[in-house]
Amino acid sequence: MSWTYLCDASEVAPNTLKLVDAKGVRIIVANYGSGFRAMPPICPHMEEPLDESGVIANCVLTCTKHLWAWNLATLEMDGAETEKPLKTYDLKEEDGRLLALVDQELTYDFDEEDDDDDDFFGKG
Amino acid sequence: MTTTSLARADVAAIERVDADRCAITVETRSGTFGFDCATSETLLYAGLAHGLTLPHECATGTCGTCRARVMSGDVEVAWEEAPGAAKLKRDKGDILLCQARALGDCVLRVPSDVAERPLRHQIPAPRPGVVGNLQQLTSDVVHFEIVLAEPMTFDAGQFVVIEAPGLEGGRAYSMVNYGRDLDRLELVVKRKPGGGFGDWINGPLASGANVKVFGPLGRATFHPDEGHDLLMIAGGSGIAGMMSILSRGVRERYFETRKAKVFFGVRTLADGFYLEDFARAIDAGGGNVEVTLALSHEDAGRLDHPDFPTVKLAHGFVHEIAGEAMAGAYDNVMAYIAGPPPMVDGAIRSLIIGGVGRSAIRYDKFG
Ligand SMILES: Cc1cc2nc3c(=O)[nH]c(=O)nc-3n(C[C@H](O)[C@H](O)[C@H](O)COP(=O)(O)OP(=O)(O)OC[C@H]3O[C@@H](n4cnc5c(N)ncnc54)[C@H](O)[C@@H]3O)c2cc1C
Ligand code: FES
Ligand code: FES
Repeated sequence: MSWTYLCDASEVAPNTLKLVDAKGVRIIVANYGSGFRAMPPICPHMEEPLDESGVIANCVLTCTKHLWAWNLATLEMDGAETEKPLKTYDLKEEDGRLLALVDQELTYDFDEEDDDDDDFFGKG
Repeated sequence: MTTTSLARADVAAIERVDADRCAITVETRSGTFGFDCATSETLLYAGLAHGLTLPHECATGTCGTCRARVMSGDVEVAWEEAPGAAKLKRDKGDILLCQARALGDCVLRVPSDVAERPLRHQIPAPRPGVVGNLQQLTSDVVHFEIVLAEPMTFDAGQFVVIEAPGLEGGRAYSMVNYGRDLDRLELVVKRKPGGGFGDWINGPLASGANVKVFGPLGRATFHPDEGHDLLMIAGGSGIAGMMSILSRGVRERYFETRKAKVFFGVRTLADGFYLEDFARAIDAGGGNVEVTLALSHEDAGRLDHPDFPTVKLAHGFVHEIAGEAMAGAYDNVMAYIAGPPPMVDGAIRSLIIGGVGRSAIRYDKFG
């Protein structure tokens, strides 16, 4: 377990996403106005680059590709079309610096080797 | 004697049919379903024709939404290089349902919720048809019609997939008309340089040609009982489906009480089409229908169309012009967006930033 520096909080304006390289792991930092989230760089649906396809409004992150969406404050899925949860890294802010707990790179199950049924259906 | 031999012939016929049909089982997040499929039809079309709401958008190999995993059985992939297949895990048996045919009984997995029947739309089916009434609308836009062998009922905003003789694969085109039990589809094609269908429809073999039509498809549809004001943002031929929505609105006097704002993006003034239809809809709307032609590559230096002064002009990208014009005016709006994917994505982005809920956004990406 190690807290890894992502970027300064001031580098991510409210309602924007920023792609950072955290010691070789690509992570997206999202500022949803009342807080920050750190997440893998792709949409859980079809692996679109979320820093380009994502848009944040009213705490909700929407992927413009097929309108999957997640509430960044509660991490709940938002709307019926969204079928997989968003994965996030634990994140903290220290002296204006954003740090994430990057134990191992988070990926989505559709990708994983030995995936079982639950993985394929995104419930795992 | 006669009866017996007839019965034998029947049995033989049935066995022959059965040998051509494969039993498909689909495991989905919402349960397991079965349908049968001829070896000549794609898994997607067979499943949709059975009523299942299998995930799909383009139905023609570009978007990747119809991916599935083959758990057992053999399938044949028609178009290996389909852009929508770029991210598939082929080593795990992943396929695009719209590009694959069964070679025998199969078990598939689809990572989505699937229902047994579409809620609102007709169940699509294949139909033969004949191409006719070709008309050049601009230097690269052609109107054409297909007379169907069996009538089709479809909503304003829906599309069909057309297979033309000599062309590999199908192409999706949105209907300009709508209605119940119609035997004529009105369509419009914007020619893409070097495109197979565009070249064919502009060539000598199109008029009178036999084609195969699969549809109706698409969920970016207009339903007057929903009672929304309409916002339509279209790039190029994306206007096709908007024309059917507008004409339904006009015919049912929808715009006596509801508004419609149409933003139609083309490159230059000379690329605009359907202007007479717009002028008529604006007239019929009595102030409730507005149409803006957004010119991306020309500043016409004026705010109205020189020949159709009720049609407004603007200079810039259509999704940006729509976003600026609509800011703060999204109450009770249902937004329809169609055209090239970057334009649709851009429009979705400005709507979401503008506070429009996702359930009020319906789109078709033409790529
Ligand atoms: C929902 C939807 C609605 C559309 N509505 C319209 C419309 O109303 N008007 C309009 O002008 N355009 C429309 N399009 C775009 C249209 O479907 C075509 O992509 C476009 O006309 C270019 O076709 P083309 O044959 O000229 O170009 P091409 O580059 O030859 O082909 C384009 C498309 O054809 C399919 N294709 C090509 N080769 C193969 C192959 N070997 N096997 C299988 N499939 C293949 C693929 O889907 C490909 O993207 C729509 C697209 C979609 C997804
Ligand atoms: S890729 Fe993001 S919603 Fe489909
Ligand atoms: S629906 Fe099959 S790739 Fe788009």
